[in-house]
Amino acid sequence: MRDRVAAVVGVAVVVALIVIFPLIVTDPAATSIGVFTLVFMVSASAWNIFSGYSGYLALGHAVFFGSGGYAVALAARDWHVTGGWAVFGLLPFGGLVAGLIAIPVGLVALRTRRHTFVVVTIAIFFIFQLAATNLGFTGGTSGILLPIAPFSAANFNQPFYYVAFGILIATVLVSIGVRRSRFGLQLLAIRDDEDRALGLGVKTRRLKLSAFVISAVPIGMVGGLYFYFVGQIFPQFAFDPLFDLSIALMAFLGGLGTITGPLLGAAVLESLQQYLTQTFSSSATYLIAYGVLFLAVILVLPRGVIPGIAELLERRRARSASGPGPAAERESQVAGVAGAAR
Amino acid sequence: MTHLLEIQGVCKHYGGVAALSQCDLQVHEGQINGLIGPNGSGKTTLFNVITGYERIQQGAVHYRGSEITNAPPDRVFNLGIGRTFQLTRLFMRLTVLENLLVATQRDEGWLRTVLRRAGSASEKRRAMDLLEFVGIARLAHEPAGNLSYGQRKLLELASLLVADPAVLLLDEPAGGVNPTLIGHLADRIVELNRAGKTIVVVEHNMEFVMSLCSRVTVLSQGTALVSGTPAEVRSNPAVLDAYLGGEDDASTQLELAAEAARPHGQVTPGPGPAPPAAPAPPATPARPATRARPATRTPPTPMAPEPVDGPTPLLRVRGVTAGYGGGDILKDVSLDVPRGSITCVVGPNGAGKSTLLATISGLLRPRVGTIEFDGAPISALAPKQILGRGLAQIPQAHSLFGEMTVRENVEMGAFTVDDDALVAQRLRAVEELYPIVRERAGEKAGSLSGGQQRLVEFARCLMLDPELIMLDEPSMGLDPQTRAMVFDMVQEMNQRGKTILLVEQNARAGLRLSSHGVVLENGSVRLTGSGREVLEHPEIGALYLGGAVTRPPARAAGD
Repeated sequence: MRDRVAAVVGVAVVVALIVIFPLIVTDPAATSIGVFTLVFMVSASAWNIFSGYSGYLALGHAVFFGSGGYAVALAARDWHVTGGWAVFGLLPFGGLVAGLIAIPVGLVALRTRRHTFVVVTIAIFFIFQLAATNLGFTGGTSGILLPIAPFSAANFNQPFYYVAFGILIATVLVSIGVRRSRFGLQLLAIRDDEDRALGLGVKTRRLKLSAFVISAVPIGMVGGLYFYFVGQIFPQFAFDPLFDLSIALMAFLGGLGTITGPLLGAAVLESLQQYLTQTFSSSATYLIAYGVLFLAVILVLPRGVIPGIAELLERRRARSASGPGPAAERESQVAGVAGAAR
Repeated sequence: MTHLLEIQGVCKHYGGVAALSQCDLQVHEGQINGLIGPNGSGKTTLFNVITGYERIQQGAVHYRGSEITNAPPDRVFNLGIGRTFQLTRLFMRLTVLENLLVATQRDEGWLRTVLRRAGSASEKRRAMDLLEFVGIARLAHEPAGNLSYGQRKLLELASLLVADPAVLLLDEPAGGVNPTLIGHLADRIVELNRAGKTIVVVEHNMEFVMSLCSRVTVLSQGTALVSGTPAEVRSNPAVLDAYLGGEDDASTQLELAAEAARPHGQVTPGPGPAPPAAPAPPATPARPATRARPATRTPPTPMAPEPVDGPTPLLRVRGVTAGYGGGDILKDVSLDVPRGSITCVVGPNGAGKSTLLATISGLLRPRVGTIEFDGAPISALAPKQILGRGLAQIPQAHSLFGEMTVRENVEMGAFTVDDDALVAQRLRAVEELYPIVRERAGEKAGSLSGGQQRLVEFARCLMLDPELIMLDEPSMGLDPQTRAMVFDMVQEMNQRGKTILLVEQNARAGLRLSSHGVVLENGSVRLTGSGREVLEHPEIGALYLGGAVTRPPARAAGD
């Protein structure tokens, strides 16, 4: 019970911090880092709904990021949506397009398993990148300009920030819902032993496809948001292999298959990356930091930060079970958050 | 009368090997049906076919009168047929309770699965009741991966029961489980049966099967051989033949008859039941008589090493105890492999035969005891060093690299030999001996038939020019003709001066071929003697089938 209260308090504090951040920190450089970070938190969390729960490592979710972006860009251009909040109204359309694209992609890719699946998702990703470059309606390599948002220069980032946060809340709620449903349990069963799950009546193919589509929708939405924020979309950015790697890395770092893990991983990695890029104005430096961090996590906490720390705390708590002091208090609070992650 | 589950004429081939051929099985409703048979007889494959894990091209499976041939596993389960696996399969990272909540409640539809919360209060109550039933309720919130082997078996059983299937297919429920737990499992199975469940049990533990089942079907080489009550099955000579390896064709029949009539060494009485009376005086000896030694029934407790006469044996195993993980599989095993002999180790499934070979070849280190090869201790050496001493093993079937060519596979055999000229010379010699190595040199090894693959394995082994060759079940999964050929090849290798240690499921054929026989049972040596003496020992049937089984005397006398 106390764990539960601690978890609720913890979540409330985190939410409040995210809400007031752009009100306190008004530096546009900082708030734009906030927007990018929220976009990646959504992406990593959504990716985790499929890959984290089912154990199928998808390395092509940039397909949905780019598709969502193109869908919003094209819709804004062809339906003459000229900016402002109306473009945000197109984000669900971006999500819908991404979800629809996920159906045939999933039907093809999910015929395979394990390494083959990874390779197939990467191959499909490159097909989309090529298509975006070569099809007429995408504007080819020069891409498409999105409407310019008419927000004041001082508070330009805020609308993007809060919309992204809204999508994040929705995504996390879906992630929690899936994890608690029979559907989520069956996805975890597929992760552990797919054939055995099949033998217990689990309709594995259908469930995997459902999770695949569910994970594509939020990514399509933040794809639209991202390119509206950046102002233009072209193939190399829309279908960027680094996006695929980044969200997988974030989820791994935080803890694959947990609810808070991908959020934490994205928050740390994306803000760090953006900060390094801004500070050293070199886009390659952060890759070195990325690599070092990734190696460290794999070596020290191979299951990810959240499960790793939860395990450490569990062990320490077991050792000091007899004397509850202030330290134990703090522990139970952190463990409560970690517990909510499961 | 139609049966609840009916399998007709099912055939299943893997490459050149037939796992099931024209197999029939009737499962009687409301009964506990046993399915037994030697290793590789197709029991698990049959389960896989029924539950949709393997597709068949020929044959039919009917359930409650409607056809379910090649139905996918989820559909089969939702129809009410649940199964367990030989090597227990669980969702290791889920908790025990969660493992029980995974199974669907008989086709509940996609939307309900997605929207429904996992484990409503009533579902959880039911799951807890089932855990209570199998006796692991207190472990409900442990990750399944933390359970012991026996507890896993119980959990696997419980996870099936959630959906209340009408038929339970249990693949070796008692395999690797301690005796107390076996009793507990048997009670649960009986109770489930009383509650109306139809049960099919595949099991090697004969006591378990015979006491539990009302009907038993014996599979042999992919075909249902006999079906009947436990008593009928036990007393049917064909069943013992299936376990010991039957007389396949007329020529071996004759050979056996002639051999049986041949005089052999006096059998010394051991602490067991009295040996059979010596058969009738000589007819014509069928083959040069092997030097007969008395068969000694080794007493189970403290066992003195068998005295060795003459020169030191090539391989000498003394008091070896070994096993994987917590348990000992071999217990104080001592045996000799005399130079130039074919020594055959036989015994029921799970006796420790393959473990014995793994221990000798250095893959498994003995906990106690010594192994000497050519007078020098080898039990502390690495597998590669043991190989270098001239002791090579041909493992159980399918040890070739299927995607590599025949030639590459054979060359792999000599990868520890650095001398290219020597390798080339040996390759020529091997090609001479097994022309198939040259004829099919460029083909993928996986495309060969089962028998051809064995030849390539022999060829690969001979590339090392070993002194002692250990063969693990060379006849497994082969048809009678190919098997005869493989045994001829073994004999030929022996005649070329190789000492052979043979592990064989087909005990009769193996022992007939061998100059020395050893019977392992439950990790201990039970009988030693010449191949013939072991073969004709009255107790060997009991060792395989449990209880007292005697072969009809008329047959043994060769009339």
